[in-house]
Amino acid sequence: MKKLFAALLFMLPLFLCAQEMEGSIRYLVTHNWTKKMAAVDYISKQQRERIAYMWGNRSEWKVYTVLYFSATQSRYEDSEERAEPDDEGYSWRKDVYNIKRDFESNTIQDAIQLLGKTYVIEDTLIAPEWKILNDIKEVAGHVCMKAFLEDTLKQQKITAWFALDMPLSAGPERLCGLPGLILEVDVNDGAMLISADKIDLRKLDKELNMPKKLKGKRIKEAEYYALLKKHIEDRRKAEEPAFWGMRY
Amino acid sequence: MNQRAFLSMLLLLSAHLLAAQNPSRVSIKGIVADTSGAEISFATVMLLVPEDSTLINFTRSNDKGEFEFKNVKNNDYLLKVSYIGYLPLQQFVPASADRENDLGTLGIKQISTELMEVVVKTAKATLSIRGDTIEYDASSFKVPPGSTVEDLLRRLPGIEVDADGNIKAQGQDVKRVYVDGKTFFGSDPKAATKNLGAETLSKVQVYNEKSEQARLTGVEDGKKEKAMNLELKEEYKKGSFGKVTAAVGDQQRWAGRGNYNRFNEKEQLSFIGYGNNINQTGVNWEDYGEFKGQNSFNDFDNGDFGFSSGGRYYYFSSEDTPLNNFDGRGFTDNYGGGVNYNFDNKKAKFNASYFYNETTLDLDQYSYRQSFVGDNSFYTADTTGKLDFRGNHSINTRFEKDLDSNNVLIVKANARFSKSNGDYMQSQLFSQDDLTPTNSLSVDNGNNMDSWRLNSAAIFRHRFKKKGRSFAASAAYNNSQSNGMEDLFTINRFFQANTFTEQVRQQMNDNENDSWQAKSSLLYTEPLSKKWFWETFYNFSKAGNQVDRQVADPENNGQRIDSLSIFYDNEILYNRVGSSIRYSNEGMNVMLGMAAQKLDLLGKYARDPDAPLITEPIDRTFTNWTPHFSFDYEFVNNMWLSAEYGYSVQEPRFNDLQPVPNVNNPAYRTEGNPELGPERSHSLGLNFNMWNPASMSSIGFGSDFDIYDSQIVYNQTIEVIDSVGIRTTTRPENVSGGNRFNTYLWSNFPIVKTKLTMSVNGNLNFGTTPAFVNGVENETDNKGYGMRMRFNFTPDTKLIIGLSGRINFNNISYSIQQEQNQKIQNHSLDASVKWQFASKFFFESNFNYSIYRNDRFDFDRDIPIWNASIRRLLGKQNRIEIRLACFDLLDRRLSITQSGTQNYVIRNIAPTLARYFMLSATYNLRGYEDKLSKNNWW
Repeated sequence: MKKLFAALLFMLPLFLCAQEMEGSIRYLVTHNWTKKMAAVDYISKQQRERIAYMWGNRSEWKVYTVLYFSATQSRYEDSEERAEPDDEGYSWRKDVYNIKRDFESNTIQDAIQLLGKTYVIEDTLIAPEWKILNDIKEVAGHVCMKAFLEDTLKQQKITAWFALDMPLSAGPERLCGLPGLILEVDVNDGAMLISADKIDLRKLDKELNMPKKLKGKRIKEAEYYALLKKHIEDRRKAEEPAFWGMRY
Repeated sequence: MNQRAFLSMLLLLSAHLLAAQNPSRVSIKGIVADTSGAEISFATVMLLVPEDSTLINFTRSNDKGEFEFKNVKNNDYLLKVSYIGYLPLQQFVPASADRENDLGTLGIKQISTELMEVVVKTAKATLSIRGDTIEYDASSFKVPPGSTVEDLLRRLPGIEVDADGNIKAQGQDVKRVYVDGKTFFGSDPKAATKNLGAETLSKVQVYNEKSEQARLTGVEDGKKEKAMNLELKEEYKKGSFGKVTAAVGDQQRWAGRGNYNRFNEKEQLSFIGYGNNINQTGVNWEDYGEFKGQNSFNDFDNGDFGFSSGGRYYYFSSEDTPLNNFDGRGFTDNYGGGVNYNFDNKKAKFNASYFYNETTLDLDQYSYRQSFVGDNSFYTADTTGKLDFRGNHSINTRFEKDLDSNNVLIVKANARFSKSNGDYMQSQLFSQDDLTPTNSLSVDNGNNMDSWRLNSAAIFRHRFKKKGRSFAASAAYNNSQSNGMEDLFTINRFFQANTFTEQVRQQMNDNENDSWQAKSSLLYTEPLSKKWFWETFYNFSKAGNQVDRQVADPENNGQRIDSLSIFYDNEILYNRVGSSIRYSNEGMNVMLGMAAQKLDLLGKYARDPDAPLITEPIDRTFTNWTPHFSFDYEFVNNMWLSAEYGYSVQEPRFNDLQPVPNVNNPAYRTEGNPELGPERSHSLGLNFNMWNPASMSSIGFGSDFDIYDSQIVYNQTIEVIDSVGIRTTTRPENVSGGNRFNTYLWSNFPIVKTKLTMSVNGNLNFGTTPAFVNGVENETDNKGYGMRMRFNFTPDTKLIIGLSGRINFNNISYSIQQEQNQKIQNHSLDASVKWQFASKFFFESNFNYSIYRNDRFDFDRDIPIWNASIRRLLGKQNRIEIRLACFDLLDRRLSITQSGTQNYVIRNIAPTLARYFMLSATYNLRGYEDKLSKNNWW
């Protein structure tokens, strides 16, 4: 009991400065190709089982992403750092992916490459309909609570863990709107696992700003979803995984 | 309207009336405090939809523990309070009659320190709160392998296990232990905990249960007893699959094959077997992939380090693959089978497999060949009959171990034992320009050979602390030995004017071959910055080859024929050191490197191992600088461009260096050349690819160019020798001036999205091969043009139609006899249909029409091939498939190949399996899909 109190006392200053809480989180994103395939229901069960049987243990690859956050804003992008120790040397071009949230003005500004084209989505922020569950676990030293979201468009079951002691609504990818910072996200039972592995509280300089010149077609969020929907339907008809050509 | 509906309408209406009296918006407020009444600030307070816990709003309690939701819709809510170290509190808040809904003080209970510290912090397990009980994943607690449930329970907070194995939970005795809710072997609670392995467990639940007395009598006595439920892990990864097929046809055609796989999280065990007389010389790719399982592809398996552009490559484990590789000629009987075992626990991977396969080939072939010498040419018409047996046992093993996170070791060893024997009958008719026959040669050869081969390698990789710095070392040893006997018999008949003479030759060859190679490579990568890398490698290889060919004359008491017998002992020492600089950033990867290599060749030749050397040992050294350059660039919109230049130096093959000729067929004499130098060439490649994911179309272009500074070609001397007739002698020699240019273009695009797609590809290749025929240089120019077009039509999910056409021209021109220039044409048209005409019924058919043409010989042959089959799935899970198939309905199948090089043009025609009918039945444990599949990439 004493220990717990000590721990709580230690956390107290953190709570107090929550309004000024600012910094960055490096997430380790683990993609699992066979689990992504396992979630594609229009490819035959036999084919999916075959893929898992032949590739199951070699289908993971890891990348780093980074979230900059302050009390009122957040920006998320792919990190320059390489997470796979063995791919030194070869550099792939990263797709444009820059996600900005402003919780004060309630706006979003996202630069996303979809099907080879870059779009800039500017719209008001509408938080998704999270369901809050009764589970607790620790992620990167923070006690988190479980929330669940079903993305019917991308056919994803998303489980998020938000920190009870970091009262900000930001999160990785395009996820946000929970009572605490989202530190871990599991999409489709391990197909993509995003987990905070380094939290750095510091004063930010310009990291929260989007690049001044954002190239790309300006669209609203509804138009973006319409593009996604069409692509996913096309791929379903062609019996090819929809995650080719778009971010998972 | 029935009564019930009316009633519910009424209820709804009254609910509505009641609600109508409530204000539409309310404020909900309260105070968060712990059980002792102390206010808790900064607790998270959430408003949820009671039905599905959807989050509506959230806030935090202030420093006095107060919270308030202002002006929210007046609905029923579930209010949830959570705070670190406390059990989340859920309270139902009905719609309020007042504008302000004060909930008063909400007390939250602490989670025990033990649970927080041991379960959440140490074991990193998830705590799930279900009402008053707390569950957590017991498998998060680490226990040594082989531990029982009892060992695990000792580590769980709140549970005590005494020396006898009696269990207490929260201080009370646990009276009963259930496994998955059921009694486990009688009532002794220890039976389960002492016998079950800890690794089988997923959850441990402790709860209160009525006493046994109460359960028996049904009279509530108010006593509660502690009970424990052990939930077992769902071993979703455990299972088995497999299938077995039996097929019979007319003309005694038959086929059988089967495979069976068992697997769990760490292991895969598979069996496969086949037998047939329908020219399936091995297993198909799909079955083989499942046979090898996780070991089908391996990365970092190449220990021959060299210039690299970075990145990771997967290697298909291609050692001795028993894949079907029938070349379309003749008739074969085939048998094979094997077993494969894979182990993988993420830190170590182990694979072992054994495979046996054998093929007996019965081949008759007719060849027609025109050769040019000076201003003349002669013709050879061959009829060959061949019966060949080949059987292989192969054993493959591979072990990969992550010694720790920075060190990886891979060890591989493959062995193969083969036996082969054959009879070879050939009758050749030689004719001159005016088609008058000069002589005929009958060959009757027999051979048998035993051989074995061992390949082994070890690769070690180390990553330094500094990111990007790494070191790798490899060592390999290969050895192969063969021992074979050849029994040669030839009769040569000469037709001259009105006489004819005959010559008989007999020869016995005893061949022994022993080759070995020991090699090692080192690689060091140093990051100069985030974008620049410096790589250095070193390769060493020492290879040796001992060949003992003793040729005897059976007519002469087995006396050795000295002029044809040889023993040679060759050694090649190879050293290469190279270094390269690499730049890689944002899709741009450039590499520039240079290597210095040295080849030392040492060859000793004698009549037999004990005899003195025939010539001075051949001792030669070649030193070369070999530059290398590569460029890869990925543009923004899925476009890739790459270019590569390399200079390569390839040592001559031992076989080409021997100073004693091989005369198995007196009309074809193969000589070696001890003076032969290495082959040196420049190669240049260019590639461009583009993919448009939105329109689902792609396009690609590529071209390669090789120029030889020194090419190994087989020069010919054609002469008329009295006792032989027309004799062709080939001898390898180095010439310069050869080149090869190849370019291709391909594209796939939809005409009607997802319904009709078209793919086109074309290729163009030019090549010049200089060679000397009777000392006169003859440059052969090959110009090939090909184009293929394909339409894929899928009007709905039940029909797939494919239509494709292919044209191929091959123009061959010669510098010394231009009137012999050839125009070879091979074209074909292909149509296929897959149709699911009823549930579980499929019809599949394809029709191919091939045209073979060579205008200079007035050769014109058309071959139509039509296959059709109908299949039906049976059983609830579609586990049975019955198929009736007809191969080559028109009975026209024949193998035709046409080609031309150097100074000859050749056409081969071989009969093969033509029309047959087959009825097959398959039982597939996994079941078949009752649907046509558009893609089958895996």
